[in-house]
Amino acid sequence: MININVLNSFLNISMKMATPLLLGGLGEIIVERAGVMNMAIEGIFLVGAWGGFVGAYVSHSLLIGLLVAIAASVLIGLVYGFLTITLKLNQIIAGSGLNILNLGLTIFMYRVQFGIPTTPLKVQIFPDLSIPFISNIPLLSQLLSNQNIFTYLAILCVPIAHIFLFHTRFGLNLRSVGENPEAADSAGINVARMRFFAVLIASILSGIAGAFYSIGYLGIFTDDMIAGRGWIAFAVAFFSNWAPISALWGSLMFGVVSSLSIVFLTTGIKAVPNELVLALPYIVTIVATMTRKSLRAPKALGEPFRKEE
Amino acid sequence: MSNLLLEMQGIAKYFPGVIANDDVNLKLHEGEVLALLGENGAGKTTLMNILYGIYKPDKGKILVDGQEVSIGSTSDSRKYRIGMIHQHFMLVDVHTVVENIILGLKPQQGRTLSIAESAKKIQEIGKKYRLDVDPYAYIYQLPVGLQQRVEIIKAIFVGAKILIMDEPTAVLAPQEANELFEFARNFKKQGNSIIFITHKLGEVMAIADRIEVLRDGRVVGEVRKEDAAEDGLAQMMVGRKVVLDKKPEPAKMGPTILNVKNLSVKGDRGNVALDKTSFEIKAGEIFGVAGVSGNGQEELAQTIYGLRKAVSGSIKINGQEIVNKSPLFSMNHGVAYIPEDRQKTGLVLGMSVQENLMLKGYCKPPFSRDGVLNLDKMAETSRKLVEEDSIKTPSISTKVKNLSGGNQQKIVISREIQEEPSLLIAAQPTRGLDIGAAEYVHKTFFQERSKGKAILLISTDLNEILSLSDTIGVLYGGKLLKIMPREDADIQKIGLLMAGIREE
Amino acid sequence: MGATRFFDRINSVIQERMRKRDNFSWLFLFPIVSVLLGVLASGLMILLLHMNPISVFWDTLKYTFGDYYSIAEIFVKATPLILSGLAFAFAFRGGLFNIGAQGQFYIGVVLAVTVSLKVTHLPGAIVMLIAMLVSSVFGGLWGAFAGYAKAKFNSNEFLITMMSTYVATNVLNYFLNGPLQETAKFYPRTDSIPTSTNLPILIPNTRLHYGFILALLIALLSYFILWRTTIGYKIRTVGLNKNASQYAGMNIGMVYVITMFIAGAFAGLAGFTEVNGVQHMAMQGFYSSVGSDGIAVALLGSANPIGVVLSAVLVGFLQVAGTIMLQTSRVPSSIINVTEGFVIMFVIISFFVQDRISATSRKREVLAKRKSEGQEAS
Repeated sequence: MININVLNSFLNISMKMATPLLLGGLGEIIVERAGVMNMAIEGIFLVGAWGGFVGAYVSHSLLIGLLVAIAASVLIGLVYGFLTITLKLNQIIAGSGLNILNLGLTIFMYRVQFGIPTTPLKVQIFPDLSIPFISNIPLLSQLLSNQNIFTYLAILCVPIAHIFLFHTRFGLNLRSVGENPEAADSAGINVARMRFFAVLIASILSGIAGAFYSIGYLGIFTDDMIAGRGWIAFAVAFFSNWAPISALWGSLMFGVVSSLSIVFLTTGIKAVPNELVLALPYIVTIVATMTRKSLRAPKALGEPFRKEE
Repeated sequence: MSNLLLEMQGIAKYFPGVIANDDVNLKLHEGEVLALLGENGAGKTTLMNILYGIYKPDKGKILVDGQEVSIGSTSDSRKYRIGMIHQHFMLVDVHTVVENIILGLKPQQGRTLSIAESAKKIQEIGKKYRLDVDPYAYIYQLPVGLQQRVEIIKAIFVGAKILIMDEPTAVLAPQEANELFEFARNFKKQGNSIIFITHKLGEVMAIADRIEVLRDGRVVGEVRKEDAAEDGLAQMMVGRKVVLDKKPEPAKMGPTILNVKNLSVKGDRGNVALDKTSFEIKAGEIFGVAGVSGNGQEELAQTIYGLRKAVSGSIKINGQEIVNKSPLFSMNHGVAYIPEDRQKTGLVLGMSVQENLMLKGYCKPPFSRDGVLNLDKMAETSRKLVEEDSIKTPSISTKVKNLSGGNQQKIVISREIQEEPSLLIAAQPTRGLDIGAAEYVHKTFFQERSKGKAILLISTDLNEILSLSDTIGVLYGGKLLKIMPREDADIQKIGLLMAGIREE
Repeated sequence: MGATRFFDRINSVIQERMRKRDNFSWLFLFPIVSVLLGVLASGLMILLLHMNPISVFWDTLKYTFGDYYSIAEIFVKATPLILSGLAFAFAFRGGLFNIGAQGQFYIGVVLAVTVSLKVTHLPGAIVMLIAMLVSSVFGGLWGAFAGYAKAKFNSNEFLITMMSTYVATNVLNYFLNGPLQETAKFYPRTDSIPTSTNLPILIPNTRLHYGFILALLIALLSYFILWRTTIGYKIRTVGLNKNASQYAGMNIGMVYVITMFIAGAFAGLAGFTEVNGVQHMAMQGFYSSVGSDGIAVALLGSANPIGVVLSAVLVGFLQVAGTIMLQTSRVPSSIINVTEGFVIMFVIISFFVQDRISATSRKREVLAKRKSEGQEAS
């Protein structure tokens, strides 16, 4: 009964939807392993989307767009790090403030540059590349081939993050900072510097994730294009138990759920109200938050580190 | 004993409102175990934190091998081969032993050891000093004694030849403590040295070569083990400053109010905090629990008040079992509690004097009716209490965080007594208070005693215990070593008991 | 009318607040400086448009205060902001981060518009009363859910309220595209509610409606609850010192649920004021920033009912001025968000400055008694 084209497109879109969640989730895993929650993630996604679009539109180069996205998100990340690590302000308040500011700034800067165009501005998005050999495998090819570089990057980052966190000295030091910053400090590790580094990594990955929406998928920029997906990436870190490999499955699950609603819409299946399917990712997050019970959260997560004396 | 390894001369350290170290000298020789003996607040840990590089001294100097050195950080002290084992371990629970030991290590001689190589080195150290531990075990899997071993190996791994150990047997079982002493003897034999911070005379006599006694930030004695006697040491430790408050009248004790039987409680680190403790307090009696902090005092108070669960045993107030219920239950059955950490538990710093005074009364008439607070009545009663108890505050609306420690404590005491409890638990009630405030607290306790209340006084201040108590018990290692009426108690006896020396 | 009685109450409340000295500078000095800095920053942004910020500001102020309609608009805009600001501030007092006011608002919208459209056999005033109650209660339940999750599972209430906002958005959209959709079945919006269920206008020839009075009353109510009831006392204690609240025998879980219910009810009520007071219908995507604006308002107002009201008026002013700025000077309306964002950043930084100031003054006090008292150390 299910058309093979529909199935292919469903798998393909699922992976696409999962990509930014995976990128953002991996970044969040790294920064939370160091003990900091990136509460500005939604705003950084948006800044990444904006930077990517503006950079690509003005320079006619998608690569430049990506670089602009990264630069912009690093800037926001530095501000967030300054507020939460140096000034030791509450992470939720600092993040909320930055998210509000980012929303205003991106829209405003967009208007400053482009005014209110009569037809929405578009850019060419990153093309899908097919990987030889894999592209011949039915079904799987839709997940692992026929995707653009965002997806390949995201998938690549999974083993890289895993190796970095669990098989390098630096990763060990980073994880110790998140578990017991006093112990790390007494072992001679500069806790603040480590956390800043982690915030930077998270910002870069979140910025790339945001750029996916503008220059990797939709080809436009609107102020509501992120619609809480930054927060879902945030939640991915949480219930993948802060493990990169689990994040792959977690984000894929969300991708599947998001893609379901698109499939229903395009094929006109009215069995379930469309809004219910759209709400599914968020409902799942709520349920997971309640049941997953912070299995092995980094012990010092969210606490600013104050050196005695 | 041979060459002088290091020397601390004229060390002074001040904290806001406190002189932690005052002109302290210390010598350490090669192949020696030096015991730093003293009560709470003597200045031992501060002195060692200075040696280890966590604090900088305000006065004085440190010499290593005869040369003056500056130790401004822990990496400096590591340079001079000094390592420190803290009371609270600096370990990451969810990582393995190897991962903890190699944490933060910089490459030595151009390369970093791999995990396998590090594990091998750990095993070698383990064999050499009989500190065997599985390098690949997770810290949370290890009992406290083994966790401490990891800390020791960590120090030796980076080349420490001088180990500072801060109350190392505080969380150890007797068998584990013996193993630790074995290690100390071994370590010393290999030409290394140990500085041992403790308040336990038994340990000192077991393994120290020399003993230095600190009291109130000053050195009051320095003896070689051969010349030392327990009595003399105990006396030096607690001093002869006995200022006795005149007791108004001998106690008129009534029926038993508090009955604790075979109470066993676990501490936060899984250690045994209370071990089948039993005692009774009668109406009109002040029962003083003496002892160096960390021997179960905090857990005792919390368990009676319902903030902590007991593993086994019974706590009865006026015959009613209250163990393992809740603070509300204890409160409703006549237990009041002046907590040790008033700012963390007993007060809401961001609220006003009035609101803090009403912390337990706010939901009862006449202070509220049908869920609405009667602010006028609260203000009236608060003003009365402030005046009666001489709480110095600009107004009853002043936020408590702006008051002095003494006045904050007065608020806690005033409030608890308002509740007309049967049992008043007072944990370190005069800590951080000036003489005037402390006197006021003592006067209040005597008043409550005359009214027939039972008071459980937990204090590390021997003066306080001796001045106030009708009955004294000494808590050591989770056990009440001895319970005696005041007449039978003296500084000597209590000092010995506090240091773990039982009478024959 | 009851206006004089009402202003008397406001007056006495302000006087009582001023008696508590420490609140004064916190309430006014830092927020005012933050606002000025924020406006300064947005002025710089206007420079980016190659416009003269001073003339832009001047023109804007001229037209904003030029006629009663615009001035009244400030309070029209302030009404939902007071309520969503209280939704954040009230929960904040209980130590909870309620980011879900937007969702609680939408639930209130759904209930308000449903009652107004479907309950046709009762007089308008009664219908409005029911709508008011129902929107608050369901908004409250929506919020209480997060409180329950926190109480039972120690779930991160930030995440749960955040997610439930998106769920609520979809609930609203479902109704707007389905059962409640307008008879023309064209746009995702409802029919207009019967005029009998429109909130009466306060000042003729403006849009200012009685919802504003309602919001002020709610601000008073939240003050009353927090500082004059036993439950409010518990809420504040839990928010300030969880250990002490446990010590005092309070049921922390229950406090969480009640706090989130009340906070959610405030936001749900905003659904009523906007549906029955301003829009007279519900449509997709309207008031999409009332939640986050509420957070800004609460932070600017130091999570204090009076502060929230004043800040809401200020932010309302920013919103009106921003619209006028668009009309008169062609400055994009997003300047509103930008200004708000900058103001919030400065407010946040001022928290740090405030902390530093009180810490150094306390340190100085203690150091002053340094050697005179010999106490025990460790």
